[in-house]
Amino acid sequence: MIRYESQRVAYPYMALSLILFCLQVVMGLWLAINYGFTLSQGLVDTFSFATARPIHTNLLVAWLLLGFMGGAYFILPLECERELYSTKIAWIQFGLFVGAAVVAVIGFLFGWTQGKPLLEIPVPLDFVIVVAALLFVANVAITIIKAKVRSALQWMLLGGVTFLAVLYLFGIPFYRDLNADYYYWWWVIHLWVEGAWEVVTASIVAFIIMEVTGVERKVVEKWLYAETGLFLFTGIIGTGHHYYWLGAPDYWLWWGGIFSALEPLPIALMVIDTWMHVRERKNPIINPLIWTYIVGLAIYHFVGAGVWGFIHTLPQINYYTHGSQVTVSHGHMAFFGAYVLLNLTIYYFAFPRFRNIRKYNDRLGKWGFWTMSISMFFLSLVFGVAGILQTYLERLLDIGYSTAHLNMMFWFRIALGIGIVFLGGVVITVWHLFTLKPVEEGAAE
Amino acid sequence: MTGKAARNIFIGGTLVSALIFLWMTYDFHRQEPRLAKTEMIDEHVVAGKKVWHKYNCNDCHTILGFGGYYAPDMTKAYFRLGESNIASIVMHPETVYRNSFRKMPHLGVSETEVKDLTAFLRWVGNIENRKWPPQDEKYVKAFRLREVSAQKLEKVDIVMGACGGCHSFENQGRNIAGDFSAIAARITYDKETLAKFILDPQSVHPGIGMPPQQVSRETAELIADFILSLKVGKEVRK
Ligand code: HEC
Ligand code: HEC
Ligand SMILES: [Fe+2]
Repeated sequence: MIRYESQRVAYPYMALSLILFCLQVVMGLWLAINYGFTLSQGLVDTFSFATARPIHTNLLVAWLLLGFMGGAYFILPLECERELYSTKIAWIQFGLFVGAAVVAVIGFLFGWTQGKPLLEIPVPLDFVIVVAALLFVANVAITIIKAKVRSALQWMLLGGVTFLAVLYLFGIPFYRDLNADYYYWWWVIHLWVEGAWEVVTASIVAFIIMEVTGVERKVVEKWLYAETGLFLFTGIIGTGHHYYWLGAPDYWLWWGGIFSALEPLPIALMVIDTWMHVRERKNPIINPLIWTYIVGLAIYHFVGAGVWGFIHTLPQINYYTHGSQVTVSHGHMAFFGAYVLLNLTIYYFAFPRFRNIRKYNDRLGKWGFWTMSISMFFLSLVFGVAGILQTYLERLLDIGYSTAHLNMMFWFRIALGIGIVFLGGVVITVWHLFTLKPVEEGAAE
Repeated sequence: MTGKAARNIFIGGTLVSALIFLWMTYDFHRQEPRLAKTEMIDEHVVAGKKVWHKYNCNDCHTILGFGGYYAPDMTKAYFRLGESNIASIVMHPETVYRNSFRKMPHLGVSETEVKDLTAFLRWVGNIENRKWPPQDEKYVKAFRLREVSAQKLEKVDIVMGACGGCHSFENQGRNIAGDFSAIAARITYDKETLAKFILDPQSVHPGIGMPPQQVSRETAELIADFILSLKVGKEVRK
């Protein structure tokens, strides 16, 4: 059921990303061990937390981006009603991106790093990634320009990926001034996850909802404009919620506080429109699992990014919770709810089509979805408890780092246990995606 | 709502937000010299920042609250620890944290690198960031006032501000090298010797792992008084 041969180029992106997902979670378990137990000096000297953490986070970013790029390549031919401009470019870009990622991870093991959290990839490799990104954006742009049909969705997707690529540049230079360094660091981190990525997500989700439910394009695109408009309106100035304590002017407390309090609105809109479109569907439900994913994505996105973010970004609360495990709690819930589920939704849309399967057996997939979703919820809760404990002991009772962290160790052992369950869910899901089996359908269809 | 109206909302909303944001970015740079004390940034500070990146300290330690949450925040570390303590921790974490529940790796930081690093941390501590993190503000105050007007400070804050990086007292500080109540019960130094020990540990107790403390003679005596008073307290209680 691949309508355009070039859609197949998306497969390596998606397949590799699933492997990286598994590795990312394994590395996460190792981080929990670092927190939960006392490790020997020798171990810490050879493979420290500072080496493991960037592997965990960079694998996350790498697999999510691979998923976005694969997803874009998969839906673009359908949306443009033509083949991709060039599958060769897509392959070269894939090679560059993967090459840079592999070298980066090996480099981390030997201490080759830019030394900035989340953006540890050293500058020479940054340039390889920039070239890969340029190739990707060019390929998408030319495909759209050459298309006979025009749609809002095409432009939104192109705008989102271009914005994403441009923002990456702000993390590359060396800044003499630490607070300016972090000022622009957030242009990458925040404006990605609460700006550019949301635009890409909203576009891809809009497309999948349209295809799966059969709701009219006109309606879906109207919602898309409203949502992305609100995302950018609130999200751009909302960057200010990271500027409270880095040495920026006072008015950021107001601007950052108010605009980030509005950030849940577009996500709420997404929940509403998903719900409406699912109810007013014109197509029959063939594979219930993808509907589960679509609705699950909307709700989890709202809870993780919206509600958790809202609570944590009010300046009065953030004064205490900033730089604590509360951020970790929010980060896990939001990334899983918004982006992990998005990628898996894309894959459940694309993989059956790669295999030419109309209806598949989804028993394992359901187990995977629920195991991951529930365990991630509890994992975030446990991080939240650890964070509140840390904040309370260190900042309200003034008891100091060691006492606080010794008390938190218990919760990290629990996090480790839940993390193992989560890994189980991931492995089931990945296994299910790679081994989709068709089921016989009744003659009536 | 028509499709066109929706599109205009999108374009308008994005532009308005982006323009305000860019203006505030401009204003941020205008105020940067005042807030970030940019006149303090010399080659040592810049070199120190590069050392900070080179060893990836930031993936374990937060600074300005950003980074890994594995180890203590470094924003005000300069005030919490002072120069010679930072040097001995960063160069010999395996000795300082031998008995700690969590270890810092021996990174092989050189002596010049540590000097630059301290210059960097000193500058960072001076950024006007609305007194964050909350728990370190007492150390900043103690560091700034203990030499000029010690009477304005709580004695405990002076002691913990100077020694809390390695010693604990009633839940405060970090117990890496002993709690002061226990130490007070154990030591036999008089005030004079204890003050001398604080300023130059090797001269009193050769081979001990404690680095010299960079406090004035008066502050050292004040701290010595405090520690010895714990001893008296104990004997009286008995
Ligand atoms: C693998 C993680 C890790 C890395 C990398 C690391 N540290 Fe640490 N550091 C720690 C831990 C853990 C502690 C606290 C140990 C304890 O209290 O038990 C610590 C403590 C410190 C302290 C004392 C803090 C205080 O408040 O007492 C300083 C100063 C410090 N580190 C500086 C640095 C510098 C500078 C670098 C980079 C050159 C660095 N660290 C790299 C883990 C790390
Ligand atoms: C960088 C860490 C560090 C800092 C900061 C520090 N000490 Fe120590 N201190 C040590 C170590 C290590 C020991 C030896 C502990 C042991 O061997 O049990 C020690 C031991 C002592 C002893 C016992 C001496 C003896 O002969 O048994 C006293 C008293 C003492 N410190 C006082 C202070 C005072 C007062 C301050 C603050 C002005 C201070 N320390 C700051 C690391 C530190
Ligand atoms: Fe943010």
